[in-house]
Amino acid sequence: MFENMINKSRIKSPWVVHFDCGSCNGCDIEVLACLTPMYDIERFGIINVGNPKHADVLLVTGTVNNRNKHVLKNIYDQMPTPRAVIAIGACGCSGGVFREAYNVVGGVDKVIPVDVYVPGCPARPEAIIDGVVAALEKVKAALGMTA
Amino acid sequence: MILAKLLLAIAALVLAPIAGGLISGVDRRITARLQSRFGPPILQPFYDVFKLFGKAPMVVNTWQALCAYVYLTGAALSVVLLFLGADLLLIFFVLTVGAVFLVMGALASPSPYSQIGGQRELLQMLAYEPLLILVFAAIAMVTGSFKVSAVFDQTHPLLYDIPLMFIVLGYALTIKLRKSPFDISACHHAHQELVRGVYTEYSGPYLALLEIAHWYEVILVLGFCALFWATSVGGMILLLVLTYFAEIVVDNVTARLTWRWMLKSAVGMGVALTVINMLWLYAR
Amino acid sequence: MLDTLVFVTVLLPFLVAAALLVLRGQNVRKVVLVATAGVLILAALAMLRHGAFSFAPAPIFDRLVTIGDFVILFVVLFVGFRRKNQIIIWLTLAQIVGLFWFESFLLKDHPHFPAFFADDLSIVMVLIISIVGSLIAVYGLGYMKVHEEHLHLPKSKQPVFFFFIVLFLGAMNGLVLANNMLWMYFFWECTTLCSFMLIGHDNTEIARKNAERALWMNVLGGTAFLFGVILLHKTTGTLALQDILARGSQYAVAGGAILAPMFLLVFAGMTKSAQVPFQSWLTGAMVAPTPVSALLHSSTMVKAGVYLIVRLAPLYAGTHFSNFVALAGAFCFLVTAALAVGQSNGKKVLAYSTISNLALIIACAGINTPAAITAAILLIIFHAISKALLFLCVGAIEQQIGSRDIEAMRGLHAVMPRTAIITIIGVVTMMLPPFGMLMAKWMAIESASGQFLVMIMLALGSALTVLFWARWAGILLAEPFGKPKPERQYASVRTPLLVLASLAVLVSLLAPAVYTGLVAPTVAMYYKTTAYSVTMLGNLDSKTGMFIIYPLFILLGLGFCYAVRQAKRVAASQVSAPYMCGEQLDVDGKAGFRGPLGQPVAVVNGSYYMERFFGEDVLTKWINAIAIAVLVLMLFGGAL
Repeated sequence: MFENMINKSRIKSPWVVHFDCGSCNGCDIEVLACLTPMYDIERFGIINVGNPKHADVLLVTGTVNNRNKHVLKNIYDQMPTPRAVIAIGACGCSGGVFREAYNVVGGVDKVIPVDVYVPGCPARPEAIIDGVVAALEKVKAALGMTA
Repeated sequence: MILAKLLLAIAALVLAPIAGGLISGVDRRITARLQSRFGPPILQPFYDVFKLFGKAPMVVNTWQALCAYVYLTGAALSVVLLFLGADLLLIFFVLTVGAVFLVMGALASPSPYSQIGGQRELLQMLAYEPLLILVFAAIAMVTGSFKVSAVFDQTHPLLYDIPLMFIVLGYALTIKLRKSPFDISACHHAHQELVRGVYTEYSGPYLALLEIAHWYEVILVLGFCALFWATSVGGMILLLVLTYFAEIVVDNVTARLTWRWMLKSAVGMGVALTVINMLWLYAR
Repeated sequence: MLDTLVFVTVLLPFLVAAALLVLRGQNVRKVVLVATAGVLILAALAMLRHGAFSFAPAPIFDRLVTIGDFVILFVVLFVGFRRKNQIIIWLTLAQIVGLFWFESFLLKDHPHFPAFFADDLSIVMVLIISIVGSLIAVYGLGYMKVHEEHLHLPKSKQPVFFFFIVLFLGAMNGLVLANNMLWMYFFWECTTLCSFMLIGHDNTEIARKNAERALWMNVLGGTAFLFGVILLHKTTGTLALQDILARGSQYAVAGGAILAPMFLLVFAGMTKSAQVPFQSWLTGAMVAPTPVSALLHSSTMVKAGVYLIVRLAPLYAGTHFSNFVALAGAFCFLVTAALAVGQSNGKKVLAYSTISNLALIIACAGINTPAAITAAILLIIFHAISKALLFLCVGAIEQQIGSRDIEAMRGLHAVMPRTAIITIIGVVTMMLPPFGMLMAKWMAIESASGQFLVMIMLALGSALTVLFWARWAGILLAEPFGKPKPERQYASVRTPLLVLASLAVLVSLLAPAVYTGLVAPTVAMYYKTTAYSVTMLGNLDSKTGMFIIYPLFILLGLGFCYAVRQAKRVAASQVSAPYMCGEQLDVDGKAGFRGPLGQPVAVVNGSYYMERFFGEDVLTKWINAIAIAVLVLMLFGGAL
């Protein structure tokens, strides 16, 4: 029964840490827009926490380049399980228009496993919220919950 | 008699965190409404704590685990003592056990955020501890005793005799609730100050313990506020509701300032108000 | 039986000290010292069993004491001339002339009353001196061996060191057992001399300078003591403390003539206890080897000052003078706690904390109610144990890591696990419930209710003490995960640490018994009522408040044990590096991060010492000025 309560709470309280991995800040602004009263993701229990140790979901924007890929890996490693990763924006999904550049790794999934991809340039707040919901559905399925 | 006390103690132990969590949930909802948004459901703090219990534990060293549990013990014990009618100053010192171990847990981690958070938490304690002792001294002056049970023997509310001390208690409440402008060490939910100050290196189940301990502390300080209108339950509830709403409003209209300002303003105002109230009591 | 006890506690140390002066062998010294320690402890416990007494030694000793008085005064005068210190010279001359005149003309004949008497307060002091003092002396064996190795001394100075340490134990026992005020004066001057010699033991420039400062301030106190005794004799007609105290109620009136000698004696006590504005001699005395700091300058000699003030409290109860004493004590408590916040030197933190707690005892004596005096005596007991423990820990730590700075003790648990834990036990017993020191502080704050200026200062000071203790305790634990290195220490250093740590916890646990057995009878004798009654559950209850002892010990103990059990279950798999914004890096086993050019940078942490607010140089001028003003007020407003 305790297990049940914890599972239900995991869906209802996904804490988010956001990392800009070389983005132009377009997607970052859209992520932060989700926190404003206009979109208000706190009604889903989502809080933007400051460090990965408190977070369940990692929101990554940007292409990931050779300078910051180890940072991304470290942040991912410092998140306690269970955790999810959402790659936001065209850059996060595949490197976007910068894929051919010399320093670019080309997408978050080249460094860490990604659960949900949210395309867009920039991704709209509604799409980002959709992405988080999709991640939660994935978690639900993984936990074997039907409701 | 002993059985009644034991039952009361267990009730306090079990119900206080539930009440604390509900108050925290209502706090977030009202804050959200004041900010023109909807806010999370009222049970959200409980979802947060259960989720945290389900995370894999992660610590920097074993001392963090020890300090988290001792903090919880201190906070819970002080609430139980309050409901058993014990000595106010003793309750305060038992609370200090918890607070000191929270700081020790933060200082036990070599992380710079944690270290600065711990130092600033100490400065916060420096701000609110004299205020609480002075409030209790004032209560003792009026009732003739430091025991909580003596407050309930009064014929009229303490608010009539020591209204200024209630404002002093308000300063201590703001600091303890970790609300602006005194959230120097670690702000309550969602707001970051040097990442998360004292809580930075805690995660998962240990963070859940700290959260529950915080709920105990909230109930404790609200309990102190309630003593100021101990003559009627309705008055008590009204006082608590108005005070907490005032705290939320103050939190939303002020910004966090520096620790120097916090010390000067909290302790300075606190001592000044105490002196004025005590002089007035003497003059009567 | 009684004469044996008094002989063992007072005279035997003098003889053993003389023996230690000539013995050169390290092992013989060890045996003699440990044996003396054992004998002293047994004698103190036997005295406890015996209870209150009066004792008149053979008349020859009266002569010896008078001769001893003049010997010490001339030695001090000689030192004054050697150092060309005008204050010492003139004050000592004044004492010599005064004493001579007093002995020759004013004292008609030999005193008819017993020279020694003991009530429970004296027995408490004898227990502290004999038990804690002996443990510190034993600790000195191992400590001085390492100390002299570090200094590469060609010839050992331990004989003269232990001569003064053991002599001092005898002098302190004599002081607290003295009934004849002139005998107390002799022992008082003895302790001054011992302190001077021991502070200057290392014979460096700064040691000599600080020893001289300690000497002139204590000589000032000694002069006040002597003239206070002379005036006391003039007012009451006797030198017998017991008789004067028995007649206490007739003296403690507003504007009474006894208040002038009371001021002088309280002033003497305040200089001995390094109250502001005389605190610089104690902070300067920290250059001495640690056993000196532990023995003289925290648990015993400075307690002589507060012992005198508490002992005399019934004589000025209820007067304006008493209120001023309370204010002076509370003010000193607040400002020295503030000064301790701004210090990072471990021994200086302990020094200021000592002065702070002594001031609290004086404030309690000034408040002068049964509850306050109870608090004062309990503070004396618990502070002696915990503070001695902390000083011994800092001494051992300093010898191991080469620094006494708190910042150098970061993560000490990794290098010296046992000592770090004992230090934390010391800190926790000093400031947290359910331990006795906190109980005494609780009593002190509750007894101050009604005097709101004192209460405000006590509240502020109490909050400041939490700050510097918690900071120190937390820093000791800042180590990475892993098993600490095993610690190697001499048995003579390790044993006193373990015994004192156990005592600190045990005596707190036995606090109800200590209260009913040792404290309540004294308070009842002088104040007609006791402040608290001990309930069935071991709580101290009164109309104004209740301190829960056994239930609190049990509940907090259970919580702590559970916490320890949970902490032990933390496995290596759960360990992660501290959060460094994703750049965390292990630098030689310590936490670190990758710097801007990709190079590894180890984390360097500091503490908020806030020197601009709490620094010594910022606050001392103001504090001394205000303290002198309070003393002047005390003299003119209270005593005259």
